[in-house]
Amino acid sequence: MSPVRLLWWRELTEAIRDRRTVLLMALLPVVLYPLTLLLVGGVMAAGRERLARESLDVAVASDEAAALLARQPVPAFTVYRRMTAEAGLEALREKQVWAVVEASDGAVAALDGRGQAVVTVRYTKRHDRSMEALERLRRTLDAVGERGLTVRLEDLKVTPEFVSPVKVAPEDVDFEKDLGPLIASRLLPVILVLMLFVGALYPAIDMTAGERERGTWETVLVAPVKPWQVMAAKYLAVATLASCTALANLASMAVTFRIGLALDSGQSAQVHFSPAQLAVLLVALVAAAGMVSGVALAVASVARTFKEAQALLTPFTMLGSLPGMLALMPGVELNAFTACVPLLNVALLVKAVVLSAATVGPAALTVASTLVFCGLALRLVAKAAASEAVRFGGGGLRALLGRGPEA
Amino acid sequence: MSSPALAVEQLSRRFAGLLAVDGVSFTVAPGEVVGLLGPNGAGKTTTLRMLAGLLTPHAGRALVCGVDVQQDPLEARRKLGLLTSSTGLFERLTAREVLSVFGQLNGLSREVVAARTEVLAKELELGAVLDRRCGQLSSGQKQRVSIARALVADPPAYVLDEPTATLDPLASVGILELVQRAKAGGKAVLFSTHRLEEAEYLCDRLVFLRAGKVVAQGTPQALVERSGAHTLTAAFLHYARGGGQAA
Repeated sequence: MSPVRLLWWRELTEAIRDRRTVLLMALLPVVLYPLTLLLVGGVMAAGRERLARESLDVAVASDEAAALLARQPVPAFTVYRRMTAEAGLEALREKQVWAVVEASDGAVAALDGRGQAVVTVRYTKRHDRSMEALERLRRTLDAVGERGLTVRLEDLKVTPEFVSPVKVAPEDVDFEKDLGPLIASRLLPVILVLMLFVGALYPAIDMTAGERERGTWETVLVAPVKPWQVMAAKYLAVATLASCTALANLASMAVTFRIGLALDSGQSAQVHFSPAQLAVLLVALVAAAGMVSGVALAVASVARTFKEAQALLTPFTMLGSLPGMLALMPGVELNAFTACVPLLNVALLVKAVVLSAATVGPAALTVASTLVFCGLALRLVAKAAASEAVRFGGGGLRALLGRGPEA
Repeated sequence: MSSPALAVEQLSRRFAGLLAVDGVSFTVAPGEVVGLLGPNGAGKTTTLRMLAGLLTPHAGRALVCGVDVQQDPLEARRKLGLLTSSTGLFERLTAREVLSVFGQLNGLSREVVAARTEVLAKELELGAVLDRRCGQLSSGQKQRVSIARALVADPPAYVLDEPTATLDPLASVGILELVQRAKAGGKAVLFSTHRLEEAEYLCDRLVFLRAGKVVAQGTPQALVERSGAHTLTAAFLHYARGGGQAA
């Protein structure tokens, strides 16, 4: 077995036997994220149902309003309380009622004649209960209005169709196919790019600064192997783990979206990835994993301790999470320019693939530019491997940039 | 006299302008045990690292069995079993896996490594711990596995940096006996230690370093006599406090 392969096996074996690595690699993507997504949908639906069954008090602040409301049954789980407008507002502020209904003078007469009854519903957007009370009142008052309109039309001996010559009947026959990719295109770029970092950072730190703390780096270097072989094995191991993490996330997300996310009204959003879509995502993610792993390994290798490596890589992680968020901005799409911006290109490619909007040119440019960045990251790793200061006690970022003292 | 298995010639090394090792020279012949002594910061570890090709000397050269360490570091390391001052074992691998990795890195086949592992397990009493992960071993067990790791390829020259530092007296005796057997087998052993009684018991010659320079070298008896002291401990204090001359 070649030294690189042997050391790669060694690094991977140690990493896989480390509970923290397994937790980050497998448990988060395979269990936590899908569970969270499914639970969030479930919790939201349960919350809506609970609110619909909650008893809500509503202040009726005028006789006219009371008379209008009395024309329809009281909505379920709703209690009308008569009080003045001032008292109603105070009660709304104190959360004793959730809406205040007031009608203008002559509202009933206007409704029964041919005028317009003006009804004011005071509520607050700060509370879900107040929003729910508004909805219940709106439904009741709409029903009162519709009944009034029907009476007027009967008096005029015209049919409802007379006042509504065109009826729009929207029919969503493509709901699952369209909304699923839309939601996935907003979630996947952020999660997949972020998980590249999660998958690469901990192993990179453990295999460099961690090894230095444990004294095992020097142990390997006393064997008849070249420093670049040691570093190459570390790079391959980190890239393998980062790729596996990203792919585990992709698979997990694909399965989650295949099952479907619970949405409003008991509907769900689903995405079915084709093999071609998955292949493009796989290639882009593996290339990006190679790039992130190279930079993470090179930066972590100059740290003297695990903590120092974490401190060095924190800004790197924060910067790295930006592209995923940028990709969500309206108007930011994959084109010849964005295809050359590291990580943003991968995030946008993920978005485009999910929306079935990816074209060959920008997709190929994304993969090509990511491979170029991967090569640059490898140069950093090679520089770290060649640096004596890096091999023995870190040397700081200056060692990596070529200005650190070798002696 | 046979040609030296280990030779250090006018070796020097600076760190940030400070001369950590300054023109150090000594040799170790096959079948000889040489002790490298000196207070902390004397340059022992830096010298050993240059001898193993881990650090580049700024002047001078180191030879392992005639191979220039700088010109052919891999070949030199194949002929050298280096035990570093920290045990430096892969904590999530078993002792057997550690020996397998290092044996194969030294170019041995899996079969040869397996056979060699059994021999070392017997010599270092590792049989019971071979299949346990290194992170679960006691410090003494770790040190013995670490020694086995250094010797797995059966190199002609050993460099042992404080091999008994973490061991109790009983375990230390086992290591000293191993060194004696190695010597009897014609191995060259360079032995760095702070335990002067071990150095006196084991070493044919001693090299005393202070502030990066060799201030005295010779047999333990000769060093004691030259210092005007009666014991090696007294001689150590004499040289550590400024006695002797740079060799």
